Amino acid sequence: MTMPNLHLLHEELIQIVGKNGLLPNDWYNDYRVDGFTPRAVVLPASVQQIRELLTCAADRKLSVIPAGSGTKLGIGNLPQKVDLVLSTRRLDNMVEYEPADLTVTVQAGMRLENLQAQLAENGQYLPLDPTYASLATVGGIAATNASGPLRMRHGTPRNQVLGMRVVQSDGAVVKSGGKVVKNVSGYDLNKLYIGSFGTLGIITELTFKLFPLAESRITMLLRFQRYEDAVKAASDITTSQLLPSYLNLIINGVPDTTLAESSLVVGLDAHPKAAAWQRNQVQWIAKQRGAIGVEIIQEPQAAKLVEAMRAFAQANPSGQVIVCKANLRMSDIGEYLGVAFAVTNALSWSVRVMGLMGTGQVYFVFSEFFDMIEPKMIASTLAQLRKHAASVGGNLILEAAPVDVKRQIDVWGTVGSGSEIMRKIKAQFDPNMLLNPGRFADGI
Amino acid sequence: MSDENELIQELVDVVGPQNVLTDPTALSVYECDGATLFKALPDMVVFPENAQQISTIVKLANKYQTPFIARGGGTGLSGGMLPVRGGMLIALNRLDRILEIDLKNQRAVVEPGVVNLLLTHAVQDDGYFYAPDPSSQKACTIGGNIAENSGGPHTLKYGVTTDHILGLEVVLPNGEIVVFGGAIEETPGYDLRGVMIGSEGTFGIVTKATVRLLRSPQTYQTTLSIFETMDDASNAVSSIIAAGIIPAALEMMDQLVIKALEDGFHYGFPLDAEAILIVELDGIEAGMQDQAQRIIDILNKHNAREVRYAKDDADRENLWKARKSAFGAFGRLAPSYITQDGVVPRTQLPKVLRQVAAISRKYDIPIANVFHAGDGNIHPIVLFDERDPDQCERVELVNEEILTACAEAGGTITGEHGIGIEKMDYMPLIFSPDDLKVMASVRDVFNPTGLCNPGKIFPTPESYIKLGLAG
Repeated sequence: MTMPNLHLLHEELIQIVGKNGLLPNDWYNDYRVDGFTPRAVVLPASVQQIRELLTCAADRKLSVIPAGSGTKLGIGNLPQKVDLVLSTRRLDNMVEYEPADLTVTVQAGMRLENLQAQLAENGQYLPLDPTYASLATVGGIAATNASGPLRMRHGTPRNQVLGMRVVQSDGAVVKSGGKVVKNVSGYDLNKLYIGSFGTLGIITELTFKLFPLAESRITMLLRFQRYEDAVKAASDITTSQLLPSYLNLIINGVPDTTLAESSLVVGLDAHPKAAAWQRNQVQWIAKQRGAIGVEIIQEPQAAKLVEAMRAFAQANPSGQVIVCKANLRMSDIGEYLGVAFAVTNALSWSVRVMGLMGTGQVYFVFSEFFDMIEPKMIASTLAQLRKHAASVGGNLILEAAPVDVKRQIDVWGTVGSGSEIMRKIKAQFDPNMLLNPGRFADGI
Repeated sequence: MSDENELIQELVDVVGPQNVLTDPTALSVYECDGATLFKALPDMVVFPENAQQISTIVKLANKYQTPFIARGGGTGLSGGMLPVRGGMLIALNRLDRILEIDLKNQRAVVEPGVVNLLLTHAVQDDGYFYAPDPSSQKACTIGGNIAENSGGPHTLKYGVTTDHILGLEVVLPNGEIVVFGGAIEETPGYDLRGVMIGSEGTFGIVTKATVRLLRSPQTYQTTLSIFETMDDASNAVSSIIAAGIIPAALEMMDQLVIKALEDGFHYGFPLDAEAILIVELDGIEAGMQDQAQRIIDILNKHNAREVRYAKDDADRENLWKARKSAFGAFGRLAPSYITQDGVVPRTQLPKVLRQVAAISRKYDIPIANVFHAGDGNIHPIVLFDERDPDQCERVELVNEEILTACAEAGGTITGEHGIGIEKMDYMPLIFSPDDLKVMASVRDVFNPTGLCNPGKIFPTPESYIKLGLAG
């Protein structure tokens, strides 16, 4: 698109969203997608504006990249084209909140942090703790099925979204699910939108199930000389009757904290007596497994530690970081770490690891001067890690990687025998491939 | 040889003659599920023993253009497995093996015909359980639970079936065998496992499932309390939730249920009481006494006339027996009953229960209530005599008004029983034509020929006329 055309496009978009709804050009770098600068970044203020934007995009054959605050725009394969980034962040109202119902309905652009602050006034919270704590919007969190350490106890958006309102690529506004905690009326299309990375529609409103804040919390830090012992201690905990909220293995530390080489962080949210009993059990397990240190972390250090774990897998914008998430059975984690370290130590890549020991996700964060390394070599190393994960029934998803590496490897890996159904669903929902084309799994 | 005879011959070639039923007397066993008012005879029932055979059978159904429907325990409550257009029932009872138990990773791989409770039995000695516990758990199957996304009394704390399924092997309506999800928590691409769960048998046939197992709670604290008024009981429920306590179960029964239970089983409940509330806590033993005391204080504050407290496992089972025998007792009250399954926001419970009582008086049809109060999932039991056409007509209006009340209160028309054929007419109460169009487009992806469980879930043009929404 030549410059005069770009100007015309912006004029047309202003007709729809007003001057305040079009981000000035100098901000576009914040919304770059894998090196592509969008032609426009629009911030609609209503569902009606979203419908009109989609009609405009369809007429002009422009791709639409849905976003909240844009914190997860780096996840995905290289885009085919990046025309309009459509951020829902101005749709940020609370629609309905009746604390006694333990549910809340909010617009998609509300930031999780703001929502939590309002819920906390009533002693409640939404148990989701994804990366980018202060920026992430609830719509973006649902679209990416983002979660953090707390998923051990409470699961992911998949388990907490009760209903949604979604603008389809043809402009129709539809709902799925409802506002009550149990609902089997019709198909469960919430599941389709959650984790679909904006490829099936624009989420504008969500209803969540809520929980009471814990009566008390104990945060424990167990240090081990060898990660193998930490893994065994974690396994003792997950096969016991303890009910931690999170159980994270951390290897090579979290920046700005004083973690040892291999640490286990255990969160116990419960009645004070139940928390204390669990603390004693964890101390006993730690001793059995040869922990070199067992600490109860007090506030405010505990909160800082939790923040650091949330931010663990955040990619820094330098492009010199690769973040991988391996999904494994819990009992395969120890052995997999050994294989992975053998692969990456041979290249002397520096690596930090966070393992969610109760649910089987292992985040690898590699920091190197990756622009000095042959992208093919990087890709083949990652492919090796992926192959090892697949050999034990797991998978490996690349959440951040330099553009040159993405040219060499599919960030999602294969989707298996569901491929044909997935493609057909995409064709039904978005026949003109308007929404986030090419970035999702299986080339969708 | 007719087409049907040719098809039967081909089915016999696949599963053997002893596994194909065509005799009308034998078929009549399969004419309904737990919603016994609705009946339809299949043309044949076939009993395969593995996914490969099911794939072959489904391909034959396609070849002969015959509708086909999977059937589990036959305990459904919405007519979801009814062969309304005839055709073939594929009974999954022979796929009843637990294939793998992996306690270290808290999961098991099972075939769809495994009875829900037997899975828990298989792992309880090791200290584990399978959480979804529909009231029919002695007879219903995991495959049926997946089709309906079943709940149960303990879903308040533990969630419903979809929260406990990791992976599925499925025979698609074209006969292809595919896998959605896996042994791990996340797989790339759309969550087809999530969409499959609750699709009421219209997206294909589940032939294998990887399910989550949970550690059994260390201890339980169960109370049964008796209230003079329904409002007191409802307010006690709200106060428990407001106190930041999430019990494992929070179940309520009304006066008519109390009467039926007393007539049948003599639990010693006072007949003038309006409500019974069962509250169960489970979890770690330390601190549990304190929490139970808080619950008892709340119950007393809301004028509980009596609080019975389970001192041991036998006591606990006794308290639950009253709840679980409720459905058996309704036979004493009327020859027939329909169980409704609406859900409303918890705060709307008192209002909607009053509406249900008013509807009962308006049409002179008795309605008993036994329900999951903690979830807002009501089960009005509409009592009548199906041989009386006038009563049947009024029952139809009662159903419509109850479901309308639930929808208007911001709720939904079914929380765990499914739409099936029983509630398809009422779908427009909660979904717009655009909403339904999107659902239909997903169904068409999985089931383009419509042969897989036809005539379910979606309203017909007549439904809109019936609801006065046509035009």
